[in-house]
Amino acid sequence: MADARKAGYTWPSYVIRVERGKVVEFARALHFQNPIFHDLEAARAQGYADLPAPPTFSAVSQHYGPAQSLDDIGVDLRRVLAGGAEWEYLADVVAGDELTVTPRVAAIERKQGGRGTMDVITMESEFADEKGQPVLRLRTTILEILGEKA
Amino acid sequence: MIERRIGPLTLADLVRYAGAGGDFNPIHFDGDVAQAAGFPGPFAHGLLTAGILSGVVTELGRLRRYQVRYVAQVWPGDVLVCSAEGSGSADGAYDLTVEREAPDGTREVVLRGSAEVEA
Repeated sequence: MADARKAGYTWPSYVIRVERGKVVEFARALHFQNPIFHDLEAARAQGYADLPAPPTFSAVSQHYGPAQSLDDIGVDLRRVLAGGAEWEYLADVVAGDELTVTPRVAAIERKQGGRGTMDVITMESEFADEKGQPVLRLRTTILEILGEKA
Repeated sequence: MIERRIGPLTLADLVRYAGAGGDFNPIHFDGDVAQAAGFPGPFAHGLLTAGILSGVVTELGRLRRYQVRYVAQVWPGDVLVCSAEGSGSADGAYDLTVEREAPDGTREVVLRGSAEVEA
């Protein structure tokens, strides 16, 4: 189960590169119809310098090293369900950008819900551009289901 | 108000998203693992549903904020019905819903969210 003492835990920062091919692959996997995610001319016509990162592209950071392993905070992946997420977009992110990601555990709370006892784990990541300016903030909530319904 | 129907989703869609996004939790593609965890079979990543909906939202304009809460699971065979409706609270603010439509006709809300786009 999640180690409540890990609230505030910060994983090491790491860098992700937003690649055109990955943007196209990601947008296609999500059945996007909007051409700005695969057609450079369409993207530029909308004022983007290159193909924009899809809104949930932050998910690909899982490809970049074991930096944000849930093992580090004692969470059993087999018991985890996604609760929700919130993205705050502070500036355009486009193919060619390099972003530094800093993930941290914002909170770990024990709750009783429809699925029994669970730990609600909130993680926050900041994505900063080459100048160190934050361009994206992500807050993710996961549920670690611990027991049967009371 | 806009509404888009996407799917039916297949197990291949789930595997393709695992590859694109990098989340290889086997609960999303391995039936034995899903059943051992108490589910009838593999179900979609929450971020697959959230990602599909986000593509619909980009048709409304540049996103400033996007928030989702998962309320039920999505299964292979489901069609996703994604809708966005102006919330009335501010220009560019939308309430979002995804419903799944199962092959047997069952309809269920699987995601609720909100978005702010540049007005």
